[in-house]
Amino acid sequence: VNEELSTFFYVPVGTMMLAIAFPAILLPTPNRLITNRWITIQQWLIQLIMKQLLSIHNTKGLSWSLMLITLTLFIGLTNLLGLLPYSFAPTTQLTVNLSMAIPLWTGTVVPGFRYKTKISLAHLLPQGTPMFLIPMIIIIETISLLIRPVTLAVRLTANITAGHSLIHLTGTATLTLSSIHSMTITVTFVTVILLTILELAVALIQAYVFALLISLYLHENA
Amino acid sequence: MLSRVVLSAAATAASSLKNAAFIGPGVIQATRIFHTGQPSLAPVPPLPEYGGKVRFGLIPEEFFQLLYPKTGVTGPYVLGTGLILYFLSKEIYVITSETVSGAALAVLVIYAVKKYGAFIGQFADKLSEEKIARLEEFKQSCIKYAEDGIDFEKEKQAVVQKRHYLFDVQRNNIAMAFEVAYRERLHTVYREVKNRLDYHISVQNMMRRKEQEHMINWLEKKVVQSISAQQEKETIAKCIEDLKLLAKKAQAQPVM
Repeated sequence: VNEELSTFFYVPVGTMMLAIAFPAILLPTPNRLITNRWITIQQWLIQLIMKQLLSIHNTKGLSWSLMLITLTLFIGLTNLLGLLPYSFAPTTQLTVNLSMAIPLWTGTVVPGFRYKTKISLAHLLPQGTPMFLIPMIIIIETISLLIRPVTLAVRLTANITAGHSLIHLTGTATLTLSSIHSMTITVTFVTVILLTILELAVALIQAYVFALLISLYLHENA
Repeated sequence: MLSRVVLSAAATAASSLKNAAFIGPGVIQATRIFHTGQPSLAPVPPLPEYGGKVRFGLIPEEFFQLLYPKTGVTGPYVLGTGLILYFLSKEIYVITSETVSGAALAVLVIYAVKKYGAFIGQFADKLSEEKIARLEEFKQSCIKYAEDGIDFEKEKQAVVQKRHYLFDVQRNNIAMAFEVAYRERLHTVYREVKNRLDYHISVQNMMRRKEQEHMINWLEKKVVQSISAQQEKETIAKCIEDLKLLAKKAQAQPVM
């Protein structure tokens, strides 16, 4: 737990590079048409997820598809690998998530403002607002627009870090309780199992959500 | 890189020759060796059907085979147990919260693999089989299309071989049409000629009839003219006497 909390502020470069590079080993490139089970399932999963993610885009937006696929796979895999004991999840670091969120968000918003300024500005005002609310709404929408990269990064960091912390705390509770009152460790162990299930789901979902939001921002700003 | 050294040495050596052309970078590029081997990756070697055998899902069978000559069957198990107990007792491996989370993860993973492992494997196999079936179907349809084309072509060639029947029939038809036209014209000619000849005959007949009637009328007129009045009286008196004789005969006969 100490490790996890202190790493919020301190960046372990060596293990971080290893942890970021390792998931690539788990995603082999097939050199044949009919592959082994591992690659077949990966291909099927990627198709499943990407159909959902890319269905809203037109031809121009589909040039982002490789980026979105890479994003989903990276975040999902690194989150899942971070659940292993004694491993490191780079997505717990705000730096990693910010460095993913800010460029991607900027890449969706700035071209929109540059080429379709009117439409982008029009997004700041929902239809049918009463006249006297307009200045307020515009200020609020601008703030919400500018804060999006921060929300993306912080959401991912907070979810993953919180999950890790919960699991480790419950684990420590189990260990401490084992010397005090052995029978309650079954309850806490079951809690740890349930939390792990939740974390597995959260890991995958967060990846999906990240990519989905970016694709939505992309779609909004054309 | 070595080739470049060799070539530059060759260039310096060759430039001393009288008729040496300027050996520039083009030569180095031209003589660099690209793609001399077969670049094709096909056919890829076939995938093994089953993965390597493992015990406990982690330790390959080869490890047990390695230790079997020295320590027998229980050797690796004793080694494993001993190592684990050693690490635990000497606190080389410390039990922390990570141990608990690792244990929870192990429970989950083992449960998932035992319960759904075969299903996922079959699912992946089914996906591969569907892909192969789609490709196979496409290949078969292409082959069938080509075969149908071949059959169609053969059929058409056979038909072309039998074209002469059609030509013969057409030729016969035309010949018959010619024959019919010829006969029709022949008949027309015959009719016209007969018409003309009939005309001449009827003209002749008419002339003869007219001559005959004219002659008869002339004869009658002459005979009537030749009967004088006296002859007429004598002829009438004779006729009356003949009639009286006949009357007498006629009176006599009905009595019988």
